[in-house]
Amino acid sequence: MEREERIWLGVLVIVFLLVNAVTLSPLVPWQKWMLWARPTPQQQVRVEFGNYQIYLPSGGIQVKAGEFVEFIATSRDVTYGFGIFRKDGRMLFQMQVVPGYENRIIWRFDQPGTYDVRSTEYSGPRHPEMFVPDAIKVVP
Amino acid sequence: MKPLGWIEKWTLRFAVVALIFLAMTGFEGVLMRTYMVAPEALAGFERILSVFRITEREPTPTELFYSMMTVHPILGIYGFAYMSVMGAFYFLVPYLLKKEIRHKKLVPVNFWLQAGGVMLCWLSGFVGLFNSLYTLYWPLPVSFDRVPLVGTIPFTIGAAVIMVNILLFSFNIFSTVLSKSNPQSYTFWQFLRAAYGISRLMKWLGKEDKSAPNLDYNAMPVFIVAVARGSIDTVINAFVLLTAGALILVYGLAALFGHPLNPMAVNALIYKNWFWWGLDMVADGNVLIYTAGVWYLMIPMLVGRRLFGEPVVRTVIMVDLLVSLGVWSHHLLGDQVQPFWMRLLSGQFITWGEFFTMGLTIFASLMTIWLARPVKITPPLLFILGSIFGFIIGGAAGLTQANVGLNLILHNTQWVIMTHGHTMLLTGLSMLLFAVIYALVPMLTGREIRSRALTLAHFWFWIVGSVLMTYVMGMAGTQGMLRRMLYPLPNPYQAYLDVAWLGGILMTIGFLAFLANLVATLGWDSIVGLVVERKRPTPAASG
Repeated sequence: MEREERIWLGVLVIVFLLVNAVTLSPLVPWQKWMLWARPTPQQQVRVEFGNYQIYLPSGGIQVKAGEFVEFIATSRDVTYGFGIFRKDGRMLFQMQVVPGYENRIIWRFDQPGTYDVRSTEYSGPRHPEMFVPDAIKVVP
Repeated sequence: MKPLGWIEKWTLRFAVVALIFLAMTGFEGVLMRTYMVAPEALAGFERILSVFRITEREPTPTELFYSMMTVHPILGIYGFAYMSVMGAFYFLVPYLLKKEIRHKKLVPVNFWLQAGGVMLCWLSGFVGLFNSLYTLYWPLPVSFDRVPLVGTIPFTIGAAVIMVNILLFSFNIFSTVLSKSNPQSYTFWQFLRAAYGISRLMKWLGKEDKSAPNLDYNAMPVFIVAVARGSIDTVINAFVLLTAGALILVYGLAALFGHPLNPMAVNALIYKNWFWWGLDMVADGNVLIYTAGVWYLMIPMLVGRRLFGEPVVRTVIMVDLLVSLGVWSHHLLGDQVQPFWMRLLSGQFITWGEFFTMGLTIFASLMTIWLARPVKITPPLLFILGSIFGFIIGGAAGLTQANVGLNLILHNTQWVIMTHGHTMLLTGLSMLLFAVIYALVPMLTGREIRSRALTLAHFWFWIVGSVLMTYVMGMAGTQGMLRRMLYPLPNPYQAYLDVAWLGGILMTIGFLAFLANLVATLGWDSIVGLVVERKRPTPAASG
């Protein structure tokens, strides 16, 4: 290996270590509870998908800002996606909803407000219809 | 134009049909972009096309959109890219090894099967409205209330034809490389051991197998090493997709004959792992290895200097093969049911292996050019530099999402498919294939590319258009815009879509400049003559 290659390889190693260390660290907010701690959720919310519909708990979803909530999503037929979006369209988080499994994710909402739910995985030509505005209300 | 030999003619035929598929997939891309910008603009066009469709009712615009989106990558990857690769490799492998293709009869078979299989898949989308998208997530392709059965069966047959054909092509390439017509021959097992670096490992451990010459490929051109190792990924990809296609076909035939099977009998997560493991052999396997091989071949030829760091490069190709076997979980980072250790190890850390292999590949390529200064920027070299730029941008975007943390907000957004996927394909891979065509046309025909101005127009319109389109859509992705989503009007991402549409139009202008240049270089008669054999007039008849 020539000198220039050794130097370049060293640069690559440094970039690899830096990027992975930063993105796995608590500097990425949700890594605090997804990677570095296993918080017990204060609330569980079950969401069911099937026949192009998103079935939320009757009475809607209300959670408290700063508390951990576990979403458990299941599918009756095909693969869907469970995505939560701010009112300006930016995604908060999402996960795949694989049929035959309980798909779980823990989240902590920091900002009070209302959030939309949208299927983030293609499930057939009516996929764009799978949108529930103001599905989640986060209270202080 | 100088008289073409047999293999030269077939190479050009592959290239011509590949470009037709690129034109088709590009046209579809423009149609889809237009639909997203202004859905009503295509209403009349859709009505005319619906005359040719086998449906009991008028298809909805979303059914049309998603069926087009399903066949769009088939045309681009298995039509344009694979046919280009087949044509180029059928010329270059025997040329570099100084021996003939082992099974010459397979060359036209590969040509017709590949073109036929791709067209059957395309028809299943265009006519049969097959709309499962290329990811084919179980059990969507067998959910016949959503995906028409009349489209599913021909699509899986078309896909099977393509995959069997790719296996035949790989067999012919391996057969040619391994054939015993020269002293640099291998047995099949020697070849596999060498490909995975086992012989090198044995040597490192002091257990060299002296009876097996050239086991570390040192005597072979580095391009051949890349073709051989990349073709292992090609075979795995074809085999895995063949099994998935066979499964879908069984369900389709059972439904056709009135005995529908239970989709839940197949575990959706295991299927997804198996499918992505095989599919990723293209995206993270042979594309990268073949690309590296072509850079390693063409750059030294174009700049007149030996490849920089060749021993390292041979190791890099081997490592890339090993890495490609373990990266598939980066497609399942959004699946919380995928074991976390697999997401972290396979989805993130092993995927970063490509950062090292492509990083070293690009470094070796650029150092070769740098050390060869002054360098004449010929059309192929210009496009190679463009392709390197594309792989740097697209690769960096891919690594950004192949991250258990960041994937949470990037998965299935426009970032994934545009800033990563389409930058790799349009700026990276396509510009590389254009470079190969610009290099091969003078080699095969004896004619220099006619117009420098058209070449530059092709380059700048294509690279500016592709980067503009993919970058803008990636930015929309960071704002939450999903891939595969048709937003109702008023579309919250309209401004991004408008600029992306402009990018698509710029690319189209670039492609038209390329076609005009090819026709000006070869002549329309010569291009048509590749497809339609014309009898030369006999002296008596002409006299």
